[in-house]
Amino acid sequence: MGHFDPYDDNGGTVAAIAGQDYVLIASDSRLSTGSTILSRFTPKIYPLSKVTVFACAGFHGDVLTLVKQLEIRMKLYVHEHGEEMSTKAMMALLLPTLYGRRFFPYYVRPIVAGLDREGRGLVASYDPIGTPEFFDYVIQGSAENLVHPFLNNQIGAKKTLSDVPIQAPPELTLEKAVKLLKDSFLAAAERDVYTGDTVTLMAITAKGTETTEYQLRRD
Amino acid sequence: MGDGERYSFSLTTFSPSGKLAQIEYALAAVAAGAPTVGIRAADGVVVATEKKQKNQLFEEDTVVKVESVSKNIGIVYSGMGPDFRLLVKRARKISQEYKLRFQEDIPCVQLVQRVAAVMQEFTQSGGVRPFGVSLLIAAWDNNRPYLFQVDPSGSYFAWKATAMGKNYVNAKTFLEKRFSDDMVIEDAVHTALLTLKESFDGQMTDNNIEVGIATAKDGFRLLTGPEIKDYLKSIQ
Amino acid sequence: MNPFSYNGGVCVAMKGDKCVAIASDHRLGAGRLTVGTDFPKVFEMGPALYLGLPGLTSDSLTVVNKLKFRVNLYELSENRKIKPHSFKAMLEHFLYEKRFGGYFIAPVIAGLDPDTDEPFVTAMDMLGAGETNEPFAVAGTAEESLLGLCEALWEPNLKPDDLFETISQVILNAVDFDCLAGAGATVHVIEKDKVTTRTIKTRMD
Repeated sequence: MGHFDPYDDNGGTVAAIAGQDYVLIASDSRLSTGSTILSRFTPKIYPLSKVTVFACAGFHGDVLTLVKQLEIRMKLYVHEHGEEMSTKAMMALLLPTLYGRRFFPYYVRPIVAGLDREGRGLVASYDPIGTPEFFDYVIQGSAENLVHPFLNNQIGAKKTLSDVPIQAPPELTLEKAVKLLKDSFLAAAERDVYTGDTVTLMAITAKGTETTEYQLRRD
Repeated sequence: MGDGERYSFSLTTFSPSGKLAQIEYALAAVAAGAPTVGIRAADGVVVATEKKQKNQLFEEDTVVKVESVSKNIGIVYSGMGPDFRLLVKRARKISQEYKLRFQEDIPCVQLVQRVAAVMQEFTQSGGVRPFGVSLLIAAWDNNRPYLFQVDPSGSYFAWKATAMGKNYVNAKTFLEKRFSDDMVIEDAVHTALLTLKESFDGQMTDNNIEVGIATAKDGFRLLTGPEIKDYLKSIQ
Repeated sequence: MNPFSYNGGVCVAMKGDKCVAIASDHRLGAGRLTVGTDFPKVFEMGPALYLGLPGLTSDSLTVVNKLKFRVNLYELSENRKIKPHSFKAMLEHFLYEKRFGGYFIAPVIAGLDPDTDEPFVTAMDMLGAGETNEPFAVAGTAEESLLGLCEALWEPNLKPDDLFETISQVILNAVDFDCLAGAGATVHVIEKDKVTTRTIKTRMD
């Protein structure tokens, strides 16, 4: 009898940048288990409302379950309040959702990204048991270590830990942010075998949501 | 010292006059060997040697005296064939070990030094005799031609042109007259064959001489029968 | 404790247009304790040949000394300077001699071919298995960060000044994400007949 082994790591990388008037979220579309590719087109981005999206690397089974749970909570919220849950509220909700499984966690590396009530970008990343971090950009998943220093370099190295912006400076326009994340995923796909195939970029502004897709290495 | 082992002394010992008789005898064996010439031209090197059989019943083309050691280096000898084959084996091993270590073909000078060191060792070690051969090492290396002679004592020289074996004194005098710095490889092959012809007993054919050349284009290679025939035509 | 990360440290090298650069950080640690902040890990092996050796410091120093011994012998017997390509082969051979019980190092080589001035860069593992066809080479405790940065920032045919800027940004941003490396960095930019060595400041935490 094999012992109980409920987890797998399906790889993949997700990232997001919060701008002054936009939020940009990106995911590769590869799903793998060990050295086997399960899918070449499964972008790990899940819209939860008009202005809030969820993106998540890790064990895909847990990712799907978590997404379902969040979608249900969003629906219930709409029924109760007559409007969609704000991005900030969704960010707050994810913490107890994950921590509720403190001793049998979802094996996930989540990002919540969206616009706040004033239309400014917001992003948050979490560890599997719900510890949140709020920065101007976040990256999670298998190519995290490769890309994180690059984004730090391009978006602005932090001077101190107490002085962390939660929005990128105005100079970082949406166009520049798109180029940055595209380059990040191209670089990641070059060296991380679990990241590849395509990258999906979802930009949310006051005008709405725009999704673009770029080819990555497929090997 | 373990059981059954005895002291072993070098057979090559100094005479009171400061000579090493064994080495002189080895040189005598070389001088009695088949004639070999080598000429360094501007764009290559040629080595040529006489390969006369003692018996007409020999299968002539099974005897090979000019051997390649690496892509760019070849060796030929005057003296004792079996001793030569041992040195060729060692030279090939030395060049392959060099390539394994540095991922680069062995420079000619390195090969010469290392083969010479082997030959020197056999003049000082216990229970062995010096090699009964002198070698000519021809190479295209470093964008230029090289021609080296290595003697049984382990000493080596770089030549513009030289001869060894039977009649080498006359052959060298001949080369001194014929050599010029600007000769090209075709002239050098021609001159080498003329030098061999000086002391050759009977008719030279593509079966009783061997010629090797080292050039930028081909590295080291043996001339084929038809190529040798063409050169022979022009000297007859 | 992992001997590769006990002392900490990183090294990176990259090719440019008729030039190469190699850089290392300055930290020397003993586990989580920093015991030195003036300890570059790049060593000069010839006029245009540098060797970076992050890893277990005692092994790095031993390897440098033993290798210098072999290079000196080679250069005396061959009467010429060793080429980066041959130096790499020599190092591979040297490391594989200790196939069982090797040195805990992650070597990086940067140099210019003395004949062709062709840039040469390579990294290898502790047993001498390496790859020479890459435009950059990384090693040390921030290997992944370095690799990601190189992949994103490097471009072909960088001139010496741009190459310096690129490699500096790479090592700076990589060590900022690695608590086992940092405390400043040294960058060598190698050109024909000229090596420019600069020290750059990084965060000291």
